[in-house]
Amino acid sequence: MSFFNRLRSLFGDAPKDDAGSPAPMIDCEEALSVVHDFLDGELEGVPHDQVKAHFDACQRCYPHLRLEEQYRQAMRCAASEEQAPDGLKVKLMELIAEADA
Amino acid sequence: MTEPEERAGSTSSFEEEAVPHLDTVYRFALRLSGAPDQAEDLVQETFLRAYKSWGQYTRGTAAKSWLFTICRNEFLRGRERSQRHDEIVTENVGREGPGTNPVNPVWVSVLGVDPEGDFFESIVDERIMGAIDGFPEEYRTAVVLSDLEGLPYADIAELMEVPVGTVKSRLFRGRRQLQKILYDYAVEMGYIAACSGTDE
Repeated sequence: MSFFNRLRSLFGDAPKDDAGSPAPMIDCEEALSVVHDFLDGELEGVPHDQVKAHFDACQRCYPHLRLEEQYRQAMRCAASEEQAPDGLKVKLMELIAEADA
Repeated sequence: MTEPEERAGSTSSFEEEAVPHLDTVYRFALRLSGAPDQAEDLVQETFLRAYKSWGQYTRGTAAKSWLFTICRNEFLRGRERSQRHDEIVTENVGREGPGTNPVNPVWVSVLGVDPEGDFFESIVDERIMGAIDGFPEEYRTAVVLSDLEGLPYADIAELMEVPVGTVKSRLFRGRRQLQKILYDYAVEMGYIAACSGTDE
């Protein structure tokens, strides 16, 4: 986004694209550079709404966001399958009882 | 309060606040050690040490992060033999970091053949965990704590005793490397078609 357009957006006069909807307030490079921070809820220096607006509107960047989400989903699913062995809690409580003895 | 009463109270609060994280700590220990029997030992050492230090813990605060810290410290104490292996693998994680190339080259390849990322659903969980297990400890810990356990960057930084920027850098490199490994695996297994110009 040009300096002029950024200035206009600050005064509530956001530039419009051909379809008449508000244009993204950050560019593709900036959006992709913060995609991890955005998904991790750790954005700094750039408002969440601006990043979200860019990904919502940008056909080029949205698929990258989607793939990062798919990656995270796969990671969480893989992790959720792993549980401590049945007897481990019993062993643990025995150790604690011994430590108290 | 008598000494036996104090002990009973301590055991009770430990059971309420620490023991519920057993599965989570076990998963973390499994990723650190790479083997179920070693993970069990590590979990036992972690909880025993935590119990002995339970008096220093402020009730109601971040018990999970505290247990992760103890678990990692216990692991690091015993990992000297694997140190050399980690150093070698570190070289393969790459030098790029946040601010280098915001466009993920793996995603560029995937978008040409599987824009919805459906190939992730075909990859078995063991393969994902195996890929993580191959990472050097500093990358493995960062990726596991963020992507699997959802810890904030600040908590990971405190736990690993590094600046937040270092955590972000390790996450960036670790994730990209992991995504490349999973993509290559999906291509190899035929879950996804190869795209020319995949190699970084």
